[in-house]
Amino acid sequence: MTIGLSFLLGLVAGSVSFYMLGLWWPVALLVGLVAWLAFGLFDVKMDSAFTLMAGALLIFCVSLSGMIMRADSQLSGLQYAETVLEDGTQARYPIPLLGNARYGEEVYRSIGCAECHTQQVTHDGVEFDIKALATEKNLPAVKDAIDRYHRVTGSPASGGAAHGLPAGEWETVAHGANAADAAKARGFLSAAGASVDVQVRFHGEDLEKDEFINPDGRGWGKRRSVARDYLFAEKPMLGSVRIGPDLANVGTRHSRATLLRILLNPQLIRKGSKMPQHRFLFEEVDEGEANTITVLKGEKNIYYKPTKDADALVDYLLSLKGAQYPLEEAPVYQPFTSSLPVPAAPAEEEADGKEGGEASAESAN
Amino acid sequence: MSSKQKEDEAKKDPREAVNLSCRGPVLFLAFSAIAWLLVYSLFTMLAGVKVHASGMMADSAWMAYGRIVPAADLALQFGFLVQLGLGVSAWVLSHRGKTVLVDGGYLYIGGIIWNTGVTLGFIGILSGHASGLDGLAMPGHVMPILFTGFVLIGVSLVQTNNRRTDMEMSPVQWFIFAATLWLPWVLGAGYLLIHFFDAKGVMANIIDWWLIHNFSKIYLTFVALGVVGHFSMAFTGREVIGRGYAVFAFWVMLLFGSIGGISPGAPVPAWLPALSTVTAVFYFVGAVAIWNVLRHTQKEATLVDEDDSGSFTLMRLALILFAAIAVVDVFFAFPGPGRSAEFTTFVSGFDKLYQLGFVGLALLGALYHIFPRLAGVNFCPRLCKLQTLAYLLGVLGATLPSALGGLMSGDAVLGSGFYFASVGDLLLLLASFILFVNFLVATVMAMKSCECLARLLGRGEEKEARA
Repeated sequence: MTIGLSFLLGLVAGSVSFYMLGLWWPVALLVGLVAWLAFGLFDVKMDSAFTLMAGALLIFCVSLSGMIMRADSQLSGLQYAETVLEDGTQARYPIPLLGNARYGEEVYRSIGCAECHTQQVTHDGVEFDIKALATEKNLPAVKDAIDRYHRVTGSPASGGAAHGLPAGEWETVAHGANAADAAKARGFLSAAGASVDVQVRFHGEDLEKDEFINPDGRGWGKRRSVARDYLFAEKPMLGSVRIGPDLANVGTRHSRATLLRILLNPQLIRKGSKMPQHRFLFEEVDEGEANTITVLKGEKNIYYKPTKDADALVDYLLSLKGAQYPLEEAPVYQPFTSSLPVPAAPAEEEADGKEGGEASAESAN
Repeated sequence: MSSKQKEDEAKKDPREAVNLSCRGPVLFLAFSAIAWLLVYSLFTMLAGVKVHASGMMADSAWMAYGRIVPAADLALQFGFLVQLGLGVSAWVLSHRGKTVLVDGGYLYIGGIIWNTGVTLGFIGILSGHASGLDGLAMPGHVMPILFTGFVLIGVSLVQTNNRRTDMEMSPVQWFIFAATLWLPWVLGAGYLLIHFFDAKGVMANIIDWWLIHNFSKIYLTFVALGVVGHFSMAFTGREVIGRGYAVFAFWVMLLFGSIGGISPGAPVPAWLPALSTVTAVFYFVGAVAIWNVLRHTQKEATLVDEDDSGSFTLMRLALILFAAIAVVDVFFAFPGPGRSAEFTTFVSGFDKLYQLGFVGLALLGALYHIFPRLAGVNFCPRLCKLQTLAYLLGVLGATLPSALGGLMSGDAVLGSGFYFASVGDLLLLLASFILFVNFLVATVMAMKSCECLARLLGRGEEKEARA
């Protein structure tokens, strides 16, 4: 083998040891050198089955430890989280499946719904808008901080900051900044003594549609899915192809009746749907039975009653609401705190409990 | 015939003796593989029809779309590709090592166990006992059966390689030898981690993706590259041009093909998709190196035997597909393009093109060369041309439209993609049916003209007595 090629192999071995296995750099350098010498100067023979087997076994161990074991050690410490929904409800998340929904998960697995539906909401990116509030006292320092931010990031001044920052008013300093720029803005402004308010916006086709924040949204969830969502799932059915919609949050989108009709014949809900019918989950019954779905066939009505499996499957689908629980590693959209309405006074809250409750919940978020 | 007797015969006429030792086991594995290809194409056709006629077979849970598709995939990957790969590997290792197939009986026993495992997995999925995972949809209890079957066949292959008469191993032998070791390792590790130690949460998915990535990027790729390499050398009478590059490609592809397979948006720690992107780029470097080696080996070569022109064309086509898919793969490994293709039928379409196109064509080309030498009878040439043409058009038709439709997204495009894919599925069904019939008829004719059948039926003894 030529010196050039063996050097490349040595470089690869050293890089893998350092970057993937996280070995101390002198050790990684040594591994690289040994590989180079072995292949280049000592001309390791590829004619021995033992050499091939030993090399392959070593690589297999690197693959298993570098990818599987390392991921396991990171994920094995994952626990449930205490979270607060937008309506103020406190919850412990994820919620294990109970009762009929648990059986429904097996029906979902058995039918192979994951062949067409995923259960993983993704997002394309995060953007940050940043507002600052300066007082008369620190106004010059804050203006300097804003200038510094625009100089460092190369972004043009926008919003109120472009016209000069007035003292005592919240003004937008950065709009649509990435995480690194937002961190810089926050650091500079805080150091100058300004109050800082950050709005976090997520965008991506999977997330909820919003004309301002996410105009292309399909509304499949408020946030992206993360590993914690599947904490209690055995062999989660994440799926890899979306011939149909994502189901990670389907429980918030459809009612029981709609889901049953989709299972029986999707074209009852949406003309031209490519989803196959699942009539085997229903039984034909006579007119007058309770909880039936009526389908017109020719000039005759046919009455279908869901089987135990269909009911369990729908229970499971209705339990899928994970993509609305905010988590530390996957927060939901966070508006400017300074723009939120001021919570109503306690006396008024009693008079109009519902609205007041919502306002205080939003400000808590 | 014992191994000792076989070795004695090998000294008289080495090639004939090698073929004789491979005859029964390799033809058995090849026949089983072709039967599974027929099953795959039939069920894929059914799945395609269900997309167009959503009410068809809607009263049968066994025929649910979500059961047919993974069952068909199992038939393709573990029934057809692995089994034909094993058969061809056995023949190639014997010929390259200039030795008889050692303990060919293991191939029968292993093959029977392997087929039992695939059948149980196939029925298990159709009866609703699938694992629910993307890659390994088969019920967990099937994996130890497959593992046992493969190990038995692998023992014979490894022993055959160790008994080679030339001490020097060619790149072909490295690739096939490593692939033979690799699959039982990943199957065993996958089974233990997912089913025995009961991996929880997304860990089960990470292991599943890792396993299926290894299956495709190491096992199938290495077998196909080994087969293309062997036949390129055999048809042209050349040695591999660029052995140093082949060493480089072998280790780089083995290392970086064994890590990765996680898509950009997966709900897993962020370093896993990032690592997959990095390894895909390095793997591509290895793929370019081996492609260059094989291209130079095939380039401007004249065939030693004109009868092999069909097989050689298929090998060339397989190599072109390998290079094209490697370029597409590395492009879509980056987060930007990867996100646009994620969850679309593009990914599954290109996976199928890789399996049926690159790997399938290489193995089919090898079969066309091997079969007449083992059976002593050739395939019907007309049917052979017809089945090859139908296979090629079927593979391209079944994979490319749905892949492109998936990329362009939108229901209308996806819909038209599915219509074209169904035409491709139909052609593939036709091809696999003709191949099955062709194989069956040729085998029966070979058995009729074979003395061993006569001996089995007792006629041989009568003839000998008369003589």
